[in-house]
Amino acid sequence: MEVALLFVVIVALLMIGVPIAVSLGLSSILFLLVFSDTSLASIAQSFFQAMAGHYTLLAIPFFILASSFMSTGGVAKRIIRFAIAIVGHFPGGLAIAGVFACMLFAALSGSSPATVVAIGSIVIAGMRQVGYSKDFAAGVIANAGTLGILIPPSIVMVVYASATDVSVGRMFLAGVIPGLMAGTMLMIAIYVIARVKNLPKGEWKGWKEVVDAGLEAIWGLLLIVIILGGIYGGIFTPTEAAAVAAVYSFLIANFVYRDMGIFAKSAPLAGNFAPITVLGGVAAGIIIWLVFDISLGTATLIGAALAAVLAVFETLRRGDLPVPRYIIGDMGRMIATVFHKDTKDTLFDAGKMTITLMFIIANALILKHVLTDEQIPQQITEVMLASGFGPVMFLVVVNVILLIGGQFMEPSGLIVIVAPLVFPIAIELGIDPIHLGIIMVVNMEIGMITPPVGLNLFVTSGVAGMPMMRVVRAALPFLTVLFVFLIMVTYIPILSTFLPTYFMGPEIITK
Amino acid sequence: MSSARFQPTGPIGRFVHHFEETAIAVLLGLMTLVTFINVVLRYGFDTGLIWGLELVTFLFAWLVLLGISYAVKVTAHLGVDALINGIRPNARKALGILSAILCIVYAFLLLKGAWDYWANFANLPQTSGKWFPTGFEDMKRTSYRAWYTVIDIPLPEWLRWLEPLMNDGDEYEKLPRFIPYAMLPIGMALLLIRFVQAGLRLVTDQTDRLIVSHEAEDAVEDVKHMNCEE
Repeated sequence: MEVALLFVVIVALLMIGVPIAVSLGLSSILFLLVFSDTSLASIAQSFFQAMAGHYTLLAIPFFILASSFMSTGGVAKRIIRFAIAIVGHFPGGLAIAGVFACMLFAALSGSSPATVVAIGSIVIAGMRQVGYSKDFAAGVIANAGTLGILIPPSIVMVVYASATDVSVGRMFLAGVIPGLMAGTMLMIAIYVIARVKNLPKGEWKGWKEVVDAGLEAIWGLLLIVIILGGIYGGIFTPTEAAAVAAVYSFLIANFVYRDMGIFAKSAPLAGNFAPITVLGGVAAGIIIWLVFDISLGTATLIGAALAAVLAVFETLRRGDLPVPRYIIGDMGRMIATVFHKDTKDTLFDAGKMTITLMFIIANALILKHVLTDEQIPQQITEVMLASGFGPVMFLVVVNVILLIGGQFMEPSGLIVIVAPLVFPIAIELGIDPIHLGIIMVVNMEIGMITPPVGLNLFVTSGVAGMPMMRVVRAALPFLTVLFVFLIMVTYIPILSTFLPTYFMGPEIITK
Repeated sequence: MSSARFQPTGPIGRFVHHFEETAIAVLLGLMTLVTFINVVLRYGFDTGLIWGLELVTFLFAWLVLLGISYAVKVTAHLGVDALINGIRPNARKALGILSAILCIVYAFLLLKGAWDYWANFANLPQTSGKWFPTGFEDMKRTSYRAWYTVIDIPLPEWLRWLEPLMNDGDEYEKLPRFIPYAMLPIGMALLLIRFVQAGLRLVTDQTDRLIVSHEAEDAVEDVKHMNCEE
């Protein structure tokens, strides 16, 4: 009963405008002080351990950093161009391209609001120019933006994996098929609407445009290859993969796309020579190292030599001569980029987002501590099993809880609280932990666009500059598509479990 | 939404603001760099920094503990604004002040807990009392715990002067624990100060809330002009 009171207090605090983190933390601390003999010192310790003791959660700041480097306007534009080149000529082409761009961007970023802002700000304006109604544009983007947390890498999945001790790698793989499916279903829905309503279609610009746009976008999209390949190749832990992804994004944003940093304002003096030699050298070195049996140091030297030759050719082809003075200058400026203001600003932005997110997670962990201390998961399991709940009914209950919770709460914090509650029951009922994770993530997605207070609705209303109620109405038709998708994901486990089982063997469930 | 972006005032305010932002950037940068270097060392040179992982986790804790007070200052913490957006300004102000008081209670309790947890590691007395510090406890023989060290990080040579001061002259093999954990009481003290300041800003009508509704609020402001209603 006390626990019911605890939840009432949390919701009350949330409603009057107390920060989520403090609502969770304060209620839990008061509960512990009143009903148990826990000391404040041990609560402070568990707060510290939220960061210092969770190796899995350490991936979060790195994923946020990687997506911050990738979220500079230029990457979003390149992805949108690529998406338009491929699907823009269908009826409703620009809208379909918007969904496709959201899917691609979701593979660079682990957050839904970020996806809506990056893609939505450009695509909504573009769609209105060619004659779509603003409502249609906003509805499409609000829904497609939610894919940010389903398509890996996903911060919410990292949190779920950490809360339930399943593998992050499995979760990421499990998100691939549902992510592609949700995107495809949205695109089909748009296509049908476009046919009925006779919406504008773009022109087919030919394969050359596809290849050109693809070559531009590929550097960003390689990020997902590094992350997934690195984890499944057994090269990195997910945390290391995230750190490598962050460094990679830094290099791409500064030296290849040159959207930020020193080269954004003044082009390198020796053309592409220095970036090709350095980045190409490292890349070639890694490939040589993977293929041949030599040390990574030697391989990188060989790679750099090969890349330098390539760079000379590239310079000559442009009709220039490689000037050593310029090349050395460029290399010096590449090193100086580490200390450039843009780098600091991006690090700071990612740091700030990490801080607000981890503050919520750390406090949610205190609440989780309360719940496990009070044996709430066991009690709920007993009640549910005693009243004859089967897997189907149980999943419906989970769906409802998450849809309501997802309205108010930041998804990661909600997962930390709900996952330990429902996880033991799911195991008892024979539901695959990975499958449960994907169900939870998809529920979060839908919670974000369910009226009255879905998070993505707010973001879209801000980005599109239209009132909340209009966005709600605009998003509804596509929301039904996602609901059908939720039902499919919930009751067809193979959608989630096929890839992880195929690549990593069957999940071993320990009760 | 309605809270303007934070602008520091005065030379000290600007310095502190600059310091906080730089610290956040540097801590995250170091975490990334150390993790990345460890990967390179493992594959390139079959070696690694044994203390790398522990250092990164401490930097992570420092980043968050130092950063939460900054996030209060610039109103970046997430919350639910559905209700407070729909009520009259007077009621909103009253609820805001109530929220601020609750936040101050929260920070105060955690500060007491943080001190109690850290104090013995620095040979200092814990406070007595379950809720409120009613005084300092007597130091028992077991209360002197400055000899506790971390697991992997070695003590840097330039910190050797700590040994006579904290450890009866005995040699520290690893970094003593009170150093990384010091950020816990410091962070909570800063959090308490920032919540008090935020409460005062609410009382004096410089702001009307402690929260933002989502992480991308600044970014939304930046792109709003692209789709303005005509």
